[in-house]
Amino acid sequence: MEEAASYEEPHWPPSAEQSEPQPTTSAANAAPASARLPRRRLLGLAGIGLGAAGLVVGGVTLEQFWQHSHSTGAQADQQLIGHLLRRAGFGAGPEELALYRNLGFSAAVDRLLNYQQVPDDEMEQRLAALKLNLDRPQDQQRWWLLRMAWTQRPLLEKMTLFWHGVLTSSFRKVGGPRFYRRMIIQNQFLREHAFDTFDSILLGITRDPAMLFYLDLTKSTRNIPNENYARELMELFTIGLGHYTQQDVTEGAAALSGWHVRGFSSYYNPATHSDRIKHFLGHSGNLDYRDVIRILANHPAAPWFLARKLFSFFVYENPSEEDLQPLVTAYQQSNHNIGAVMRALLLSPQFASAKAYRSRLKSPVEFAVGAYRALGLQDDGSLLPQFTTLMGQTLFDPPNVGGWPGDKVSAFWLNSGTWMTRLNYVDLLLRRGLGRGVVHPLNLQSLIEKNRIASPEAFVDYFAAFLLDGQLAGDRRDQLVSYLTMPATGRQESVTFANGKSYPLSRVRGALYLLLASPEYQLN
Amino acid sequence: MALSRRALIKDGMLVVSAGMVMPSVFSRALLSARAQAREGVRLAQAASERTLIVVQLAGGNDGLNTVIPYTDTHYYQMRPTLAIKEAQVLPLDQRLGLHPEMAGFKKLWDAGHLAVVEGVGYPNQSLSHFQAMDIWQTLDLSGNGREGWLGKLVAGLVDQEGHPFKALEIGSQTALALSSLTTQVPTLSSLNSYRLSVDPADHDGGASRLQALLKLYNSYPRTAPYAALLEATALDAQQSAQRLHQVANSYKPAVTYPQGPFAEGLKILAEVIVNDLGLRVGYITLGGFDTHANQEETHAQLVKTLADGLYAFYTDLALHGKADQVVVMTWSEFGRRVEENGGLGTDHGTAAPMFIIGSAVNRGIFGEPPSLTNLDDNGNLKYTVDFRSVYATVLERWMGASARDVLGGSFGTQNFLAAS
Repeated sequence: MEEAASYEEPHWPPSAEQSEPQPTTSAANAAPASARLPRRRLLGLAGIGLGAAGLVVGGVTLEQFWQHSHSTGAQADQQLIGHLLRRAGFGAGPEELALYRNLGFSAAVDRLLNYQQVPDDEMEQRLAALKLNLDRPQDQQRWWLLRMAWTQRPLLEKMTLFWHGVLTSSFRKVGGPRFYRRMIIQNQFLREHAFDTFDSILLGITRDPAMLFYLDLTKSTRNIPNENYARELMELFTIGLGHYTQQDVTEGAAALSGWHVRGFSSYYNPATHSDRIKHFLGHSGNLDYRDVIRILANHPAAPWFLARKLFSFFVYENPSEEDLQPLVTAYQQSNHNIGAVMRALLLSPQFASAKAYRSRLKSPVEFAVGAYRALGLQDDGSLLPQFTTLMGQTLFDPPNVGGWPGDKVSAFWLNSGTWMTRLNYVDLLLRRGLGRGVVHPLNLQSLIEKNRIASPEAFVDYFAAFLLDGQLAGDRRDQLVSYLTMPATGRQESVTFANGKSYPLSRVRGALYLLLASPEYQLN
Repeated sequence: MALSRRALIKDGMLVVSAGMVMPSVFSRALLSARAQAREGVRLAQAASERTLIVVQLAGGNDGLNTVIPYTDTHYYQMRPTLAIKEAQVLPLDQRLGLHPEMAGFKKLWDAGHLAVVEGVGYPNQSLSHFQAMDIWQTLDLSGNGREGWLGKLVAGLVDQEGHPFKALEIGSQTALALSSLTTQVPTLSSLNSYRLSVDPADHDGGASRLQALLKLYNSYPRTAPYAALLEATALDAQQSAQRLHQVANSYKPAVTYPQGPFAEGLKILAEVIVNDLGLRVGYITLGGFDTHANQEETHAQLVKTLADGLYAFYTDLALHGKADQVVVMTWSEFGRRVEENGGLGTDHGTAAPMFIIGSAVNRGIFGEPPSLTNLDDNGNLKYTVDFRSVYATVLERWMGASARDVLGGSFGTQNFLAAS
């Protein structure tokens, strides 16, 4: 990381090679050893590979920028609250941002964590009015995406999304179309217990109907226990590879046997539970599922494993042991309470650090919901599911039991295809909205009038304030303004600013498109 | 104005035009090739336009029910309900036969275009999907690798023209196998969505908005987060979409592909190959092989999708006169336990067969089917062929690349391709 600060990008190509390019693989082209090093370092530091992603985070410009903006009170508040609402939620429009900013950071964190005190009836009513069919995966996705877009409890939905990526299941394996609704039951469980103790969450997910089917625990029998759930419970949900043996998998599977799914509920059948003596992670006895969960939630590796997942998802990737220690302590001191761990995380200096700021790429859900929410769209969001799928994330259908790789290493979210989909989503959202049938574009003229936006400069600043925390470098702001004010050919609608000047609609809309398509907006 | 790093390189010459947004994919590509040349990496350029298509079978394919040891009584003892009956097996030789739903592969075998490498694996399998997938893709046996073997190959194959279609991934995420420190791989799930929309109110067809967009990416500070990734992605997308859509209408499939995303993806790869877009490595994944329970129907459907899809793909290429240029290789992170479990399924295993398809392959069974009686402590097969020797074979004998440089060691070769 320090190296990035001192590294000076050389001009490429070096002038000597400008006029006569050399054969690319010729041995004669080999440079002396001294010239080799900087290039290697460049590739390592600015490399586009996933492993290198962390290295380009928190470069010198950002660091200085952060320190600078931290010295100017109001702007720093805006930046920090914007960061909080993106990480602990899905971003916000101007009014919501103002509400949280007036609270101050620590009260804002309280409001996010104490979500029960914030009514969310309006969202529930709007959702109910859509009469979605929760037996259909598309409608399930829409139901959740719109919850995220409309909720007044953003952290609750974000936390549910976190759990969905960890304790995951897919509608593709929950017993067929008649039982797709099992995914919603699982989702409601994760929401209801999002901040509960880890033990309660693990107990609940173990006997969750979708999970029982997805990882085959329901197929476990007294004599031949199915290994699938036991293995993933240890590898992916609690302690991670290296902390258990294949014997722990088979013994754990025997201890977990007994739970089965029937319809939309589950039941425990003592007759299918293997009641022999098991030897599991150093414990012996006629262990059952409660013992397995107790042993795992108290395993020394569990708080570290969980803290690493939470920190990578909410703060930045590749955390150090020092970064994780406060979360681990909170886990141990709170009887494994996730709310306490999250409080420690959100109030940590790391969360508010320059290193955390814009250090992750937005996930498809964060990107799609974020723009929809911040711009206050009011349509029925019919097109949200297909767009998030094309961006690489289908809710209720993770790629495998490991969840989404992008949750751990956010660079995985970005490639040529998903990038184009992000931009096409923005284009459509601004031009026609995401509702079914009806074209319902964002009404820029009335927005300009309502907010008394005086000029193209003020227009860019207005949107940059809540979409980018006001953090758009001057030369880049100029690029947007100059696009907006560039003459356009052909007759078209125009948009008039408060200063009386009019500009073509495609230019005004285009400037907002560019802001949402910008590199800065791809980051969270 | 100082010459920027974002110079356009065209026909090996630098072209700099004021006020123009210059695609740095070209300069970056050239740069990486030069950097590698300097470092003495010898990833040779293959003389011909040969293509490798890699098919990942995600979830752990049950090798024993794919290439079936149908004369081994232990197979039937260990799998009382899941074993495929001898009469249904599509025989390859006196010992081994294909799953009955793999008629497409049987036809390729009969025509001499299919090779099977038996018993492929590596030591000390942890039985974790994720560690196994990482190892197969990065060759780092600790499972902590971050650069893929195909990514290294593709980065080394960049030529002066920097063709953006050197490699192509079908899907919504670039596989770890293709990830590299220097090169982006175009990744798409459908041709139609692989283009940037235009605002119809823009009477210039979106040209000025696109120009402004690329400028935003070009001028994004290098020290800002994810700068290299964001810029490379934008330019890679722009270049590859343009190139792809220039020719999108000149391809007509010569066969009817089966329904479904796997065959649809293969069709995209065929289109790119037939249109001579310079594809060297294509990558596609078929998932769902983690059959812990009720395996019979699921697995039958999956191997049918695999065999029918690749048969259509091969036939399509053959009818377009391209079959000689393409070799297909399949892999899966592990096979499955020899003994079936109590849920009519199989748990995580170890060694499994790989398939190699193409006019250039030597038909036959290579490697040795692992013993069904001499198992490891977990009841799993002992591998007989190191997966890296299969990679080395396609690298050396098909791609004309140095296996030692790509794989970081020597692991031998197999004879499913002739040594040139």
